[in-house]
Amino acid sequence: MHGHTEPDDLIPLKVLIAGGFGVGKTTLVRSLSEIPPLLTEQAMTAASIGVDESDMVPTKTTTTVAMDFGRITVDESLILYLFGTPGQSRFWFMWDELARGAVGAVVLVDLRRIDDCFPAIDFFENRRLPFVVGVNRFPGADEYDADTVRDALALSPDCPLVWMDARDPDSSRESLVRLVEHALARTTMARAG
Amino acid sequence: MALPESVGHQPSGTPEGHGGRVVPVYALTGGRTRSATGADMPVETLVTVTPAGRRAGELHLEYRATVELAARPISVVEIGAALRVPVGVARVLVSDLVDSGYLAVHLPPSVEGGPTPEILERLLEGLRARSH
Repeated sequence: MHGHTEPDDLIPLKVLIAGGFGVGKTTLVRSLSEIPPLLTEQAMTAASIGVDESDMVPTKTTTTVAMDFGRITVDESLILYLFGTPGQSRFWFMWDELARGAVGAVVLVDLRRIDDCFPAIDFFENRRLPFVVGVNRFPGADEYDADTVRDALALSPDCPLVWMDARDPDSSRESLVRLVEHALARTTMARAG
Repeated sequence: MALPESVGHQPSGTPEGHGGRVVPVYALTGGRTRSATGADMPVETLVTVTPAGRRAGELHLEYRATVELAARPISVVEIGAALRVPVGVARVLVSDLVDSGYLAVHLPPSVEGGPTPEILERLLEGLRARSH
């Protein structure tokens, strides 16, 4: 159906940035992106929310969800997109579309509001999408050790847990590296097994 | 390949608003936010202009803008943001231009199951190379 695709092709990839409201998703996208983070709008009818995206038709009840995203040109043909996922659970039908084919996700956690990240963790676990948990360095984040945080989040032992500063590009990039390493290990294991 | 009627220039005398949009994009795309060829096009799908697209004559405003944006590889979601239209509309614009032979699409490597280890290795190398 899509003509003109060349054999030596450009490859788009994507990573989702998830977590509760105000946890630093936009900050993380901004610190990594080579373009200013952009907002995209996803139109939907109020009635279609959480029901059936394919029935979407523009009507007077059309509303939009803003979602920010960024871009990293990895090499001459690999381009990585970062999508900050909307936090509210009623927009999860958008997550489904975004999660399809994704490399994985970074779930940001604010240890002062740890519960906020549970829906995201459940979502990625259920869909078997690789993810890392990034503890964003808000005040007090250093007061907990990794075991305590793992217990609180009921993280599986193989899920990477990183302390990071979403404002710092190097720290943010390191969390992406950990995610890709994790995704690679899982893919390799799945192939072997 | 036949040019979809809506892609070609029609001297309609459509007034263009400054900032605001006078004619809704939905009218431009014939009321479709999902198109036959692009319904499943992931938002990160990359598009590039084809030689035919570079030679394209007059196009409707949004189509022309889309072709110009695709001079360098750009994703559907970026086109939507640049044109300030919802992603569904950007999909339709891209699909029509692909049908016309003006744009080429570059789909994600694998929609189910995620990228292959080979691609992940390249991604990892590229990301590591960016750290100082």
